[in-house]
Amino acid sequence: MDKIRVDYTLDLRGEPCPYPLIYSLEILAKMVAGQVLELIADCPQSFRSVPEEAVKQGYKLVAGPFKEGSVLRFYLQK
Amino acid sequence: MKQWWHGSYAPLPVVITLGILSAAYFGVLGTVWAVTGEFTRWGGHLLQLAGYPIEQLSYLKIIKMDVMPWQRVDGWVVFGMFFGALIAALSGGNWKLRVPIQKRRLVQGLIGGIIAGFGTRLSMGCNLAALFTGVPQFTLHAMLFTIGTIAGTWFGLKIALSSWFLGTPKIVAQKGSIVQAALQLKKSRQPWLALVVLVVFFIIVGTYFTKGLSALATAALFGLGFGWLIEKGQICFTSAFRDLWISGRSTIAKALIWGMGIQTLGTAWFIAHGTPAKVMWAGSGAILGGLLFGIGIVIAGGCETGWMYRAMEGQIHFWFVGIGNVIGATVLTLLWDKGIYQVLVAPWPKVDFVKLYGWPAAFFIVYGFLALLYVFIRYVEKRKSFTSLVKLPLGENILGKREENLTHG
Repeated sequence: MDKIRVDYTLDLRGEPCPYPLIYSLEILAKMVAGQVLELIADCPQSFRSVPEEAVKQGYKLVAGPFKEGSVLRFYLQK
Repeated sequence: MKQWWHGSYAPLPVVITLGILSAAYFGVLGTVWAVTGEFTRWGGHLLQLAGYPIEQLSYLKIIKMDVMPWQRVDGWVVFGMFFGALIAALSGGNWKLRVPIQKRRLVQGLIGGIIAGFGTRLSMGCNLAALFTGVPQFTLHAMLFTIGTIAGTWFGLKIALSSWFLGTPKIVAQKGSIVQAALQLKKSRQPWLALVVLVVFFIIVGTYFTKGLSALATAALFGLGFGWLIEKGQICFTSAFRDLWISGRSTIAKALIWGMGIQTLGTAWFIAHGTPAKVMWAGSGAILGGLLFGIGIVIAGGCETGWMYRAMEGQIHFWFVGIGNVIGATVLTLLWDKGIYQVLVAPWPKVDFVKLYGWPAAFFIVYGFLALLYVFIRYVEKRKSFTSLVKLPLGENILGKREENLTHG
Protein backbone atom coordinates (compact mmCIF):
# COMPACT_ATOMS: atom_id res chain seq x y z
CA MET A 1 0.00 0.00 0.00
CA ASP A 2 1.00 3.61 -0.55
CA LYS A 3 3.43 5.46 1.63
CA ILE A 4 2.64 9.11 2.17
CA ARG A 5 4.81 12.08 3.12
CA VAL A 6 2.95 14.04 5.76
CA ASP A 7 3.52 17.64 6.87
CA TYR A 8 0.90 17.98 9.62
CA THR A 9 -1.37 15.71 11.58
CA LEU A 10 -4.71 17.04 12.80
CA ASP A 11 -6.29 14.88 15.45
CA LEU A 12 -10.06 15.47 15.52
CA ARG A 13 -11.01 12.57 17.75
CA GLY A 14 -13.78 13.42 20.18
CA GLU A 15 -14.58 16.72 18.47
CA PRO A 16 -18.27 17.25 17.65
CA CYS A 17 -19.49 19.09 14.53
CA PRO A 18 -18.84 21.69 13.20
CA TYR A 19 -15.29 21.76 14.58
CA PRO A 20 -13.82 18.96 12.43
CA LEU A 21 -14.88 20.81 9.28
CA ILE A 22 -13.90 24.26 10.57
CA TYR A 23 -10.51 23.15 11.91
CA SER A 24 -9.67 21.25 8.71
CA LEU A 25 -10.62 24.01 6.29
CA GLU A 26 -8.95 26.74 8.37
CA ILE A 27 -5.72 24.79 8.63
CA LEU A 28 -5.66 23.79 4.96
CA ALA A 29 -6.15 27.44 4.05
CA LYS A 30 -2.98 28.36 5.93
CA MET A 31 -0.77 25.57 4.58
CA VAL A 32 1.72 25.94 1.74
CA ALA A 33 0.77 24.48 -1.64
CA GLY A 34 1.95 20.89 -1.97
CA GLN A 35 1.89 20.14 1.75
CA VAL A 36 -0.09 17.16 3.03
CA LEU A 37 -2.41 17.14 6.04
CA GLU A 38 -3.19 13.90 7.82
CA LEU A 39 -6.62 13.89 9.47
CA ILE A 40 -7.70 11.48 12.18
CA ALA A 41 -11.36 11.57 13.14
CA ASP A 42 -13.82 9.33 14.94
CA CYS A 43 -17.13 10.97 14.12
CA PRO A 44 -18.86 9.18 11.21
CA GLN A 45 -20.28 12.53 10.11
CA SER A 46 -16.78 14.00 9.53
CA PHE A 47 -15.94 10.87 7.54
CA ARG A 48 -18.29 12.16 4.88
CA SER A 49 -18.42 15.95 5.16
CA VAL A 50 -14.73 16.80 5.64
CA PRO A 51 -13.26 15.05 2.57
CA GLU A 52 -16.24 16.12 0.40
CA GLU A 53 -16.00 19.76 1.38
CA ALA A 54 -12.19 19.88 1.17
CA VAL A 55 -12.30 18.48 -2.36
CA LYS A 56 -15.01 20.99 -3.26
CA GLN A 57 -12.74 23.78 -2.05
CA GLY A 58 -10.01 22.57 -4.41
CA TYR A 59 -7.82 20.40 -2.18
CA LYS A 60 -6.77 16.95 -3.28
CA LEU A 61 -7.72 13.81 -1.41
CA VAL A 62 -4.45 11.89 -1.87
CA ALA A 63 -5.38 8.84 0.19
CA GLY A 64 -8.27 7.45 2.18
CA PRO A 65 -10.60 7.74 3.89
CA PHE A 66 -9.41 4.61 5.68
CA LYS A 67 -11.64 3.15 8.33
CA GLU A 68 -9.79 1.44 11.16
CA GLY A 69 -12.41 0.26 13.59
CA SER A 70 -14.33 3.39 14.47
CA VAL A 71 -11.39 5.68 13.64
CA LEU A 72 -11.13 7.34 10.27
CA ARG A 73 -7.98 8.58 8.59
CA PHE A 74 -7.48 10.52 5.39
CA TYR A 75 -4.89 12.65 3.63
CA LEU A 76 -5.49 16.00 1.97
CA GLN A 77 -3.00 17.92 -0.14
CA LYS A 78 -3.11 21.64 -0.69
CA MET B 1 -21.65 -9.61 5.10
CA LYS B 2 -23.22 -7.18 2.69
CA GLN B 3 -22.84 -3.46 2.23
CA TRP B 4 -26.39 -2.74 3.44
CA TRP B 5 -25.49 -4.22 6.81
CA HIS B 6 -21.91 -2.96 7.28
CA GLY B 7 -21.79 0.13 5.13
CA SER B 8 -23.16 3.64 5.27
CA TYR B 9 -25.88 4.99 2.97
CA ALA B 10 -26.07 8.05 0.71
CA PRO B 11 -28.24 10.74 2.34
CA LEU B 12 -30.72 11.46 -0.46
CA PRO B 13 -32.31 8.00 -0.77
CA VAL B 14 -32.32 7.74 3.03
CA VAL B 15 -34.19 11.02 3.51
CA ILE B 16 -36.69 10.12 0.78
CA THR B 17 -37.29 6.77 2.51
CA LEU B 18 -37.72 8.63 5.82
CA GLY B 19 -40.31 10.84 4.12
CA ILE B 20 -42.28 7.84 2.88
CA LEU B 21 -42.04 6.10 6.26
CA SER B 22 -43.15 9.29 8.05
CA ALA B 23 -46.25 9.50 5.89
CA ALA B 24 -46.97 5.81 6.56
CA TYR B 25 -46.43 6.35 10.29
CA PHE B 26 -48.96 9.19 10.23
CA GLY B 27 -51.44 7.05 8.35
CA VAL B 28 -51.04 3.95 10.52
CA LEU B 29 -50.73 5.54 13.97
CA GLY B 30 -52.58 8.82 13.47
CA THR B 31 -49.75 10.91 14.87
CA VAL B 32 -46.60 12.40 13.40
CA TRP B 33 -43.09 11.04 13.88
CA ALA B 34 -41.87 13.20 16.76
CA VAL B 35 -39.55 12.92 19.72
CA THR B 36 -39.35 16.05 21.87
CA GLY B 37 -42.92 15.84 23.17
CA GLU B 38 -41.80 12.57 24.71
CA PHE B 39 -38.65 14.14 26.19
CA THR B 40 -40.90 16.80 27.74
CA ARG B 41 -43.00 14.09 29.35
CA TRP B 42 -39.83 12.50 30.76
CA GLY B 43 -39.09 15.86 32.36
CA GLY B 44 -42.64 15.84 33.72
CA HIS B 45 -42.14 12.37 35.23
CA LEU B 46 -38.93 13.59 36.88
CA LEU B 47 -40.71 16.64 38.32
CA GLN B 48 -43.36 14.30 39.67
CA LEU B 49 -40.70 12.08 41.26
CA ALA B 50 -39.22 15.18 42.87
CA GLY B 51 -42.63 15.88 44.38
CA TYR B 52 -43.69 18.77 42.12
CA PRO B 53 -47.47 19.06 41.63
CA ILE B 54 -47.47 18.54 37.86
CA GLU B 55 -51.30 18.61 37.65
CA GLN B 56 -50.88 22.40 37.71
CA LEU B 57 -48.85 22.47 34.52
CA SER B 58 -51.21 23.00 31.61
CA TYR B 59 -48.49 22.28 29.01
CA LEU B 60 -48.33 18.69 30.19
CA LYS B 61 -52.11 18.47 29.76
CA ILE B 62 -51.78 19.61 26.14
CA ILE B 63 -49.26 16.88 25.35
CA LYS B 64 -51.00 14.30 27.62
CA MET B 65 -48.95 12.20 30.00
CA ASP B 66 -51.40 9.97 31.86
CA VAL B 67 -49.40 6.79 31.25
CA MET B 68 -45.76 5.74 31.42
CA PRO B 69 -43.34 5.99 28.44
CA TRP B 70 -43.52 2.26 27.68
CA GLN B 71 -47.33 2.51 27.51
CA ARG B 72 -47.50 5.11 24.75
CA VAL B 73 -46.76 5.32 21.03
CA ASP B 74 -44.44 8.35 21.37
CA GLY B 75 -42.40 6.48 23.96
CA TRP B 76 -41.96 3.42 21.79
CA VAL B 77 -40.98 5.29 18.69
CA VAL B 78 -38.17 6.87 20.75
CA PHE B 79 -37.08 3.52 22.22
CA GLY B 80 -37.24 1.99 18.75
CA MET B 81 -35.03 4.78 17.40
CA PHE B 82 -32.45 4.18 20.13
CA PHE B 83 -32.45 0.48 19.27
CA GLY B 84 -32.25 1.16 15.52
CA ALA B 85 -29.38 3.64 15.84
CA LEU B 86 -27.48 1.35 18.21
CA ILE B 87 -27.87 -1.63 15.88
CA ALA B 88 -26.80 0.50 12.90
CA ALA B 89 -23.72 1.81 14.75
CA LEU B 90 -22.72 -1.71 15.81
CA SER B 91 -23.34 -3.29 12.42
CA GLY B 92 -20.94 -0.79 10.88
CA GLY B 93 -18.36 -1.24 13.64
CA ASN B 94 -18.86 2.43 14.55
CA TRP B 95 -19.57 2.05 18.24
CA LYS B 96 -16.95 3.60 20.47
CA LEU B 97 -17.08 5.46 23.76
CA ARG B 98 -15.83 8.92 22.76
CA VAL B 99 -15.11 11.60 25.33
CA PRO B 100 -14.27 15.04 23.94
CA ILE B 101 -10.61 15.97 24.39
CA GLN B 102 -11.68 19.52 25.18
CA LYS B 103 -13.88 19.26 28.24
CA ARG B 104 -15.62 22.56 27.49
CA ARG B 105 -17.53 20.64 24.79
CA LEU B 106 -19.60 18.90 27.47
CA VAL B 107 -20.70 22.23 28.97
CA GLN B 108 -21.35 23.45 25.45
CA GLY B 109 -23.47 20.39 24.67
CA LEU B 110 -25.53 20.89 27.80
CA ILE B 111 -26.09 24.64 27.18
CA GLY B 112 -26.95 24.10 23.51
CA GLY B 113 -29.24 21.23 24.46
CA ILE B 114 -31.11 23.38 26.98
CA ILE B 115 -31.63 26.25 24.51
CA ALA B 116 -32.77 23.84 21.78
CA GLY B 117 -35.05 21.92 24.16
CA PHE B 118 -36.70 25.12 25.31
CA GLY B 119 -37.14 26.44 21.76
CA THR B 120 -38.52 23.23 20.39
CA ARG B 121 -41.32 23.06 22.94
CA LEU B 122 -42.13 26.73 22.62
CA SER B 123 -43.00 25.98 19.01
CA MET B 124 -44.59 22.61 19.76
CA GLY B 125 -42.13 20.48 17.81
CA CYS B 126 -38.52 19.99 16.82
CA ASN B 127 -36.81 19.28 13.52
CA LEU B 128 -39.47 16.60 13.10
CA ALA B 129 -42.98 17.71 14.17
CA ALA B 130 -42.36 21.37 13.32
CA LEU B 131 -40.16 20.81 10.27
CA PHE B 132 -39.65 17.46 8.53
CA THR B 133 -42.97 15.90 9.53
CA GLY B 134 -44.59 19.30 10.26
CA VAL B 135 -44.49 21.05 6.89
CA PRO B 136 -46.26 18.08 5.20
CA GLN B 137 -49.19 18.66 7.60
CA PHE B 138 -50.16 21.83 5.69
CA THR B 139 -49.67 23.95 8.79
CA LEU B 140 -48.26 27.46 8.86
CA HIS B 141 -46.55 26.97 12.23
CA ALA B 142 -44.06 24.49 10.74
CA MET B 143 -43.11 26.96 8.02
CA LEU B 144 -42.52 29.72 10.55
CA PHE B 145 -40.47 27.34 12.67
CA THR B 146 -38.39 26.31 9.64
CA ILE B 147 -37.60 29.93 8.78
CA GLY B 148 -36.74 30.62 12.43
CA THR B 149 -34.48 27.57 12.56
CA ILE B 150 -32.56 28.50 9.41
CA ALA B 151 -31.94 32.01 10.78
CA GLY B 152 -31.06 30.55 14.19
CA THR B 153 -28.33 28.32 12.76
CA TRP B 154 -26.63 31.44 11.35
CA PHE B 155 -26.52 33.07 14.79
CA GLY B 156 -25.63 29.74 16.39
CA LEU B 157 -22.59 29.42 14.15
CA LYS B 158 -21.38 32.89 15.18
CA ILE B 159 -21.62 31.80 18.82
CA ALA B 160 -20.02 28.39 18.19
CA LEU B 161 -17.06 30.13 16.54
CA SER B 162 -16.60 32.69 19.32
CA SER B 163 -13.28 32.38 21.11
CA TRP B 164 -14.49 30.45 24.15
CA PHE B 165 -16.37 27.80 22.18
CA LEU B 166 -13.84 27.56 19.36
CA GLY B 167 -11.19 25.75 21.38
CA THR B 168 -7.75 24.72 20.13
CA PRO B 169 -7.17 22.11 17.47
CA LYS B 170 -4.72 19.34 18.21
CA ILE B 171 -2.20 19.68 15.41
CA VAL B 172 1.31 18.29 15.16
CA ALA B 173 3.97 19.23 12.60
CA GLN B 174 5.33 16.05 11.05
CA LYS B 175 8.09 17.65 8.97
CA GLY B 176 7.56 15.33 6.07
CA SER B 177 7.66 12.01 7.85
CA ILE B 178 6.42 9.02 5.93
CA VAL B 179 3.38 7.08 7.04
CA GLN B 180 1.76 3.92 5.84
CA ALA B 181 -1.58 4.89 4.35
CA ALA B 182 -3.72 1.85 5.05
CA LEU B 183 -3.34 -0.51 7.96
CA GLN B 184 -4.50 -4.10 8.08
CA LEU B 185 -6.93 -4.61 10.92
CA LYS B 186 -8.66 -7.53 12.47
CA LYS B 187 -12.37 -7.69 11.89
CA SER B 188 -14.69 -6.02 14.37
CA ARG B 189 -16.96 -8.20 16.50
CA GLN B 190 -19.51 -5.41 16.80
CA PRO B 191 -21.74 -6.63 13.93
CA TRP B 192 -22.41 -9.81 15.90
CA LEU B 193 -23.44 -7.75 18.90
CA ALA B 194 -25.77 -5.85 16.56
CA LEU B 195 -27.51 -9.14 15.76
CA VAL B 196 -27.89 -9.91 19.46
CA VAL B 197 -29.47 -6.49 20.13
CA LEU B 198 -31.75 -6.97 17.13
CA VAL B 199 -32.95 -10.33 18.49
CA VAL B 200 -33.64 -8.77 21.92
CA PHE B 201 -35.61 -6.01 20.21
CA PHE B 202 -37.71 -8.48 18.21
CA ILE B 203 -38.46 -10.48 21.35
CA ILE B 204 -39.79 -7.31 23.04
CA VAL B 205 -41.82 -6.30 19.99
CA GLY B 206 -43.11 -9.84 19.54
CA THR B 207 -44.25 -9.91 23.16
CA TYR B 208 -46.11 -6.63 22.70
CA PHE B 209 -47.85 -7.96 19.59
CA THR B 210 -48.94 -11.16 21.30
CA LYS B 211 -50.30 -9.13 24.22
CA GLY B 212 -52.45 -7.19 21.78
CA LEU B 213 -50.46 -3.97 22.14
CA SER B 214 -50.00 -3.73 18.42
CA ALA B 215 -49.94 0.10 18.21
CA LEU B 216 -46.96 0.22 20.59
CA ALA B 217 -45.19 -2.61 18.76
CA THR B 218 -45.83 -0.92 15.40
CA ALA B 219 -44.43 2.37 16.73
CA ALA B 220 -41.36 0.51 17.95
CA LEU B 221 -40.84 -1.06 14.51
CA PHE B 222 -41.13 2.32 12.80
CA GLY B 223 -38.72 3.70 15.40
CA LEU B 224 -36.26 0.93 14.57
CA GLY B 225 -36.41 1.92 10.91
CA PHE B 226 -36.04 5.64 11.64
CA GLY B 227 -33.10 5.10 14.01
CA TRP B 228 -31.38 2.68 11.64
CA LEU B 229 -31.74 5.06 8.69
CA ILE B 230 -30.58 8.26 10.42
CA GLU B 231 -27.43 6.53 11.66
CA LYS B 232 -26.64 4.77 8.38
CA GLY B 233 -27.25 7.93 6.37
CA GLN B 234 -25.78 10.24 9.05
CA ILE B 235 -28.85 12.43 8.69
CA CYS B 236 -27.91 15.50 10.69
CA PHE B 237 -30.58 18.21 10.40
CA THR B 238 -28.25 20.64 12.16
CA SER B 239 -25.62 20.28 9.45
CA ALA B 240 -28.29 20.79 6.78
CA PHE B 241 -28.40 24.53 7.44
CA ARG B 242 -25.23 25.19 9.46
CA ASP B 243 -22.91 23.83 6.77
CA LEU B 244 -24.56 26.11 4.23
CA TRP B 245 -23.14 29.04 6.21
CA ILE B 246 -19.70 27.40 6.55
CA SER B 247 -18.90 26.28 3.03
CA GLY B 248 -22.14 26.24 1.07
CA ARG B 249 -22.62 22.50 1.65
CA SER B 250 -26.19 21.70 0.67
CA THR B 251 -26.36 17.90 0.44
CA ILE B 252 -28.62 17.29 3.45
CA ALA B 253 -30.69 20.48 3.07
CA LYS B 254 -31.72 19.53 -0.47
CA ALA B 255 -32.37 15.95 0.58
CA LEU B 256 -34.72 17.21 3.31
CA ILE B 257 -36.75 19.14 0.75
CA TRP B 258 -37.16 16.05 -1.42
CA GLY B 259 -38.11 14.04 1.66
CA MET B 260 -40.76 16.58 2.63
CA GLY B 261 -42.04 16.93 -0.92
CA ILE B 262 -42.68 13.20 -1.28
CA GLN B 263 -44.01 12.89 2.26
CA THR B 264 -46.59 15.62 1.56
CA LEU B 265 -48.29 13.43 -1.07
CA GLY B 266 -48.65 10.67 1.53
CA THR B 267 -49.90 12.85 4.36
CA ALA B 268 -52.37 14.54 2.00
CA TRP B 269 -53.85 11.17 1.11
CA PHE B 270 -54.30 10.24 4.77
CA ILE B 271 -55.69 13.66 5.76
CA ALA B 272 -58.16 13.46 2.87
CA HIS B 273 -59.22 10.04 4.17
CA GLY B 274 -59.97 11.30 7.65
CA THR B 275 -56.76 11.36 9.72
CA PRO B 276 -56.75 14.77 11.44
CA ALA B 277 -53.73 16.95 10.60
CA LYS B 278 -51.43 18.09 13.41
CA VAL B 279 -51.76 21.85 13.38
CA MET B 280 -50.32 24.19 16.01
CA TRP B 281 -50.31 27.91 16.85
CA ALA B 282 -48.64 29.89 14.08
CA GLY B 283 -47.15 33.02 15.54
CA SER B 284 -44.30 34.57 17.44
CA GLY B 285 -43.84 31.43 19.58
CA ALA B 286 -43.17 29.33 16.49
CA ILE B 287 -40.67 31.82 15.03
CA LEU B 288 -38.91 32.54 18.32
CA GLY B 289 -38.90 28.83 19.16
CA GLY B 290 -37.33 28.06 15.78
CA LEU B 291 -34.74 30.77 16.27
CA LEU B 292 -33.75 29.44 19.72
CA PHE B 293 -33.80 25.90 18.38
CA GLY B 294 -31.47 26.85 15.49
CA ILE B 295 -29.06 28.61 17.85
CA GLY B 296 -29.16 25.76 20.36
CA ILE B 297 -28.58 22.92 17.90
CA VAL B 298 -25.51 24.56 16.37
CA ILE B 299 -23.98 25.25 19.80
CA ALA B 300 -24.80 21.67 20.84
CA GLY B 301 -23.56 20.17 17.57
CA GLY B 302 -26.74 18.24 16.94
CA CYS B 303 -30.52 18.45 17.08
CA GLU B 304 -32.96 16.07 18.71
CA THR B 305 -32.61 13.24 16.20
CA GLY B 306 -28.91 14.05 15.76
CA TRP B 307 -28.03 13.59 19.41
CA MET B 308 -30.08 10.40 19.57
CA TYR B 309 -28.11 8.50 16.95
CA ARG B 310 -24.76 9.93 18.02
CA ALA B 311 -25.41 9.07 21.66
CA MET B 312 -25.99 5.51 20.45
CA GLU B 313 -22.62 5.57 18.65
CA GLY B 314 -21.05 6.14 22.07
CA GLN B 315 -20.41 9.88 21.74
CA ILE B 316 -20.56 11.09 25.36
CA HIS B 317 -20.89 14.70 24.22
CA PHE B 318 -24.36 13.93 22.87
CA TRP B 319 -25.56 12.34 26.09
CA PHE B 320 -25.09 15.81 27.58
CA VAL B 321 -27.04 17.33 24.70
CA GLY B 322 -29.89 14.91 25.40
CA ILE B 323 -29.93 15.75 29.10
CA GLY B 324 -29.90 19.44 28.12
CA ASN B 325 -32.94 18.88 25.88
CA VAL B 326 -34.96 17.37 28.70
CA ILE B 327 -33.94 20.22 31.05
CA GLY B 328 -34.79 22.90 28.46
CA ALA B 329 -38.17 21.34 27.68
CA THR B 330 -38.94 21.06 31.40
CA VAL B 331 -38.09 24.73 32.00
CA LEU B 332 -40.55 25.60 29.23
CA THR B 333 -43.34 23.56 30.82
CA LEU B 334 -42.71 25.36 34.13
CA LEU B 335 -42.80 28.81 32.51
CA TRP B 336 -45.68 28.08 30.11
CA ASP B 337 -48.37 29.24 32.54
CA LYS B 338 -46.26 32.14 33.77
CA GLY B 339 -46.77 34.31 30.71
CA ILE B 340 -45.30 32.40 27.78
CA TYR B 341 -48.63 30.99 26.67
CA GLN B 342 -50.42 34.32 27.17
CA VAL B 343 -47.86 36.42 25.30
CA LEU B 344 -46.28 34.20 22.66
CA VAL B 345 -48.84 31.52 21.87
CA ALA B 346 -52.46 32.31 22.72
CA PRO B 347 -52.84 35.41 20.51
CA TRP B 348 -52.10 33.37 17.40
CA PRO B 349 -54.39 31.08 15.43
CA LYS B 350 -53.75 27.51 14.37
CA VAL B 351 -53.51 27.90 10.61
CA ASP B 352 -54.56 24.80 8.69
CA PHE B 353 -54.20 25.55 4.97
CA VAL B 354 -56.45 22.69 3.90
CA LYS B 355 -59.38 23.76 6.09
CA LEU B 356 -58.82 27.41 5.32
CA TYR B 357 -58.27 27.45 1.57
CA GLY B 358 -59.02 23.94 0.29
CA TRP B 359 -56.73 21.36 -1.29
CA PRO B 360 -55.42 23.07 -4.46
CA ALA B 361 -54.35 26.19 -2.57
CA ALA B 362 -52.90 24.12 0.29
CA PHE B 363 -50.76 22.13 -2.17
CA PHE B 364 -49.71 25.33 -3.88
CA ILE B 365 -48.64 26.87 -0.56
CA VAL B 366 -46.66 23.85 0.70
CA TYR B 367 -44.91 23.14 -2.61
CA GLY B 368 -44.38 26.86 -3.16
CA PHE B 369 -42.72 27.04 0.26
CA LEU B 370 -40.50 24.04 -0.51
CA ALA B 371 -39.58 25.48 -3.91
CA LEU B 372 -38.62 28.83 -2.35
CA LEU B 373 -36.54 27.00 0.23
CA TYR B 374 -34.79 25.10 -2.57
CA VAL B 375 -34.06 28.28 -4.50
CA PHE B 376 -32.71 29.91 -1.33
CA ILE B 377 -30.41 26.94 -0.65
CA ARG B 378 -29.15 26.96 -4.25
CA TYR B 379 -28.49 30.69 -3.94
CA VAL B 380 -26.43 30.36 -0.75
CA GLU B 381 -24.64 27.30 -2.12
CA LYS B 382 -23.56 29.09 -5.30
CA ARG B 383 -22.52 32.25 -3.54
CA LYS B 384 -20.71 30.72 -0.62
CA SER B 385 -17.33 29.08 -0.82
CA PHE B 386 -15.20 28.67 2.23
CA THR B 387 -13.42 31.76 3.44
CA SER B 388 -11.59 31.89 6.74
CA LEU B 389 -14.14 32.44 9.51
CA VAL B 390 -11.94 32.50 12.58
CA LYS B 391 -8.39 32.89 13.77
CA LEU B 392 -7.41 29.57 15.27
CA PRO B 393 -5.39 29.79 18.49
CA LEU B 394 -2.49 27.63 17.33
CA GLY B 395 0.11 28.78 19.85
CA GLU B 396 3.36 29.29 17.94
CA ASN B 397 2.48 29.72 14.34
CA ILE B 398 3.38 26.34 12.92
CA LEU B 399 1.54 26.78 9.68
CA GLY B 400 2.39 28.63 6.50
CA LYS B 401 6.06 27.70 6.41
CA ARG B 402 7.67 25.12 4.21
CA GLU B 403 9.21 22.60 6.57
CA GLU B 404 12.13 20.98 4.80
CA ASN B 405 13.40 17.85 6.35
CA LEU B 406 14.89 16.05 3.41
CA THR B 407 16.46 13.25 5.43
CA HIS B 408 13.03 11.66 5.30
CA GLY B 409 13.10 11.87 1.53
